Amino acid sequence: MLLSKGIYSGIMLLEVLLVLGTLLIYFLFSKKKEETLPFKDGWWGRGQKPLTKEDSSIRPFKVETTEEELSDLFRRLDQARFTEPLENSCFHYGTNSVHLRKIVSYWKNQFNWKKQVEILNKYPQFKTKIQGLDIHFVHVKPPRLPEGRAAKPLLMVHGWPGSFYEFYKIIPLLTDPASHGLGDEHIFEVICPSIPGYGFSEAPHKKDFNSVSAASVFYELMLRLGFNEFYIQGGDWGWLICTNLAQIAPNHVKGLHLNMVSVSKLGLTHLLSVLLGQYFPGLFGFQDEDVRRMFPFLKKGLYRILSESGYAHIQATKPDTAGCGLNDSPVGLAAYILEKFSSWTDIEFQNLEDGGLERKFSLDDLLTNIMIYWVSGCIVSSMRFYKENLQKGIGTQKHEKLTVQVPTGIASFPNEILHIPQAWAKKKYTNIVSFHFMPRGGHFAAFEEPELLAKDILQFVDKVEKEQLWKKKGE
Amino acid sequence: MLLYWLRSGHKIKTIDMGDGWWGPGERPLKGKEDASIRPFKIETSDKEIEDLHQRLDRFRFTPHVEGAAFHYGFNSTYLRKVVAYWRNQFDWRKQVEVLNKYPHFHTTIEGIDIHFIHVKPSYVPHGRAVRPLLLVHGWPGSFYEFYKIIPLLTEPAKHGLNEGDVVFEVICPSIPGYGFSEAPHQKEFDSIATARIFHKLMNRLGFREYYIQGGDWGSRITTNMAQMLPQSVKGLHLNLVFIARQSLGRLICIMLGAYVPWLVGFTREDVRRFYPYMQKNVYDLLRESGYMHIQATKPDTAGCGLNDSPVGLAAYILEKFSTWTDKSFLRQDDGGLESKYSLDELLTNVMIYWVTSSIVPSMRYYKENFSKDPDLSAHNRVGVYVPTGIAAFPQEIAHVPRVWAKDVYKNIITYSYMPRGGHFAAFEEPKLLAQDIMQFVQKVEQL
Repeated sequence: MLLSKGIYSGIMLLEVLLVLGTLLIYFLFSKKKEETLPFKDGWWGRGQKPLTKEDSSIRPFKVETTEEELSDLFRRLDQARFTEPLENSCFHYGTNSVHLRKIVSYWKNQFNWKKQVEILNKYPQFKTKIQGLDIHFVHVKPPRLPEGRAAKPLLMVHGWPGSFYEFYKIIPLLTDPASHGLGDEHIFEVICPSIPGYGFSEAPHKKDFNSVSAASVFYELMLRLGFNEFYIQGGDWGWLICTNLAQIAPNHVKGLHLNMVSVSKLGLTHLLSVLLGQYFPGLFGFQDEDVRRMFPFLKKGLYRILSESGYAHIQATKPDTAGCGLNDSPVGLAAYILEKFSSWTDIEFQNLEDGGLERKFSLDDLLTNIMIYWVSGCIVSSMRFYKENLQKGIGTQKHEKLTVQVPTGIASFPNEILHIPQAWAKKKYTNIVSFHFMPRGGHFAAFEEPELLAKDILQFVDKVEKEQLWKKKGE
Repeated sequence: MLLYWLRSGHKIKTIDMGDGWWGPGERPLKGKEDASIRPFKIETSDKEIEDLHQRLDRFRFTPHVEGAAFHYGFNSTYLRKVVAYWRNQFDWRKQVEVLNKYPHFHTTIEGIDIHFIHVKPSYVPHGRAVRPLLLVHGWPGSFYEFYKIIPLLTEPAKHGLNEGDVVFEVICPSIPGYGFSEAPHQKEFDSIATARIFHKLMNRLGFREYYIQGGDWGSRITTNMAQMLPQSVKGLHLNLVFIARQSLGRLICIMLGAYVPWLVGFTREDVRRFYPYMQKNVYDLLRESGYMHIQATKPDTAGCGLNDSPVGLAAYILEKFSTWTDKSFLRQDDGGLESKYSLDELLTNVMIYWVTSSIVPSMRYYKENFSKDPDLSAHNRVGVYVPTGIAAFPQEIAHVPRVWAKDVYKNIITYSYMPRGGHFAAFEEPKLLAQDIMQFVQKVEQL
């Protein structure tokens, strides 16, 4: 009797151990891998890769314009065909054409492209060939460096429908913080490249140029410029490219700063936290501000994604169709791009007849960004980036399954399209050093709130440097 | 409790007709609406053609990536060829004459000018009945899609079609906001409003009972017409069926249908067209619905550049005529366009959108319909009881088996698996479609 009981409990114990063992193995293998993302080499030029070595010189570059370019633009603006908006539609149907007419009038009569080109050229720009493409970048060194100090290299990556120009207001705050009341502990030299297919960077001639390709190209750029260790910052596509760069070269990236985060692996916890997070925030690691920004979830999450992602859907599937007319109609291009500068700065701007465009930006700034797309003819190639990144679906690619161990700083702006709480971000970014709720600002952080963003970057870098955090990363 | 349950299960038999005002400003309080029917001729001018040519000449072209075919959208190398044809060979004046070969009219309904063509048979053999037939187009089509099928319906004998004793007089309106119909000035102009306006149109033309046919938006509008005034609709014929997809029952159907189709009411042809499910119904739809998503949310933005760049407009519209005619055309450098259509026909349809500046209002229709009803299913709860005929074309974007169509269309008289053809049935396979319409009507007449 006793013996059979003993055998019985023995079997039970074995069963328990087996279950525990399986669970343990499951957890060990299901944990996101900490391996690095492989560097993605490629050849994106026309035709076959030549046998000769690629020219790796860095050539100075200046933006130029011609009378012909201007008169062609004016003719198109003059002959633009508008469609009357529906009564009382504000910006609910997209860019309101009555307001668009006013902008076009300014564009024709007051906007001075020649003057703006001089502004663009105030920072030194260069081009260099990497993986078969001419890569454009801005490289600004500090105007003055105190004795014995070195500038910290900082790579800043733009997104869509932005450009390197978005950083023009924040650059001086980072290269010359002292003159702007931001102290002089950390002084940066800033590198702002244009993503291949955007602005003055050549567009890839081959398929499959995705964020990992861009990250690899920018990694080569930084190495070519002689930097062994550097900081990186980005939002929109810049968020993903910088994330990939941190995954490819964690030993070179001292710190990763983001003004936008997105998650692509959604699981049961996410679903539960969306359903219950409002009522039990603590349970899901939500702070009060998280709750304020995310709920009601249907309105701020699901419906917002649906109502704002039409452009991404068409660009991820038919970019050559979507961009075709926009490369031929500057007014169409402006309408398409300005709509984002309205809703992504503040979703409530849709309720305004003028889309709130000039509340945060000047028309000169907005039009200069648009002109970059127009004069370079890059709208179609800029849209292709969506297809190359999203065509296989969200959450399916290798880099989406890998984590980031590099020290990370996140500036979470209140009017960003979607709010991602730290509780969700830290599953991917395992080494979040700072996460701050910014008091105001939307998607185009550097453009709209350069000072707030600069301050957050500085405090992040300060933390990383003081605690020498980049040395503490695991191998 | 019982009463509550009974009432909640009771389906509404018809959709409310309602009323509307789509003209600018406030609806006038006094005076009856002008109900005259005014003949109309499409016109063009040197100025219009000159302006078009200038825009074609200064089109800014973007090279595609190597090996793109039509996978990234309209292939820009092929687009250059189309533009060269458009600029140098396409004759808009001649096409306008072609368009004017059928009588056009305008009449004002609910504050906006409704355009339609009305074609009567030139010769009616003794003893034959002439039935009125309303044909409704969709996006990015127009009344012009019906030009090849109209003679087959008004004079079948002449074209070797002898399906019974019926001959039709055909009415093809333009949906408000499309082509030569005025665009609504107010928000919320949806398919219900369109259905009501088309009923009023048929009424004004003196018809009490008529047949109606449609695909794409035409399918939804004619369905709404049947739901709204079943007593006026002798028969409803569709070449596309919109069906709400979700429900647990459907999901089980989908899962079992691949293995035991007979158990869930699928035929072998259903299975061939429907599976692999994820590929054909989920991935393909996701890949092809970007336009729908942006038009249903930001139509004014999406259409702005297209109303200013005729080449952009052509690329956007012709991409659909490629992929929705045959999905395999994606792999061809020229999108297979000229294998089924002539450039003259394709460009004439594009020109209708161009000369009327109707691309933006045509896109707004998506927002107005989807905003209230994201999966277009609310009206599926109202059954369709009029005799219905369905022509299921093999290359249609999504296949709906008869067993699912029955959920909404309670009175399916004919359901035909067409041997070939895609989304633009009347344009691409007019004879097949005409034959199916006629054999459907013949059956209805015998009921």
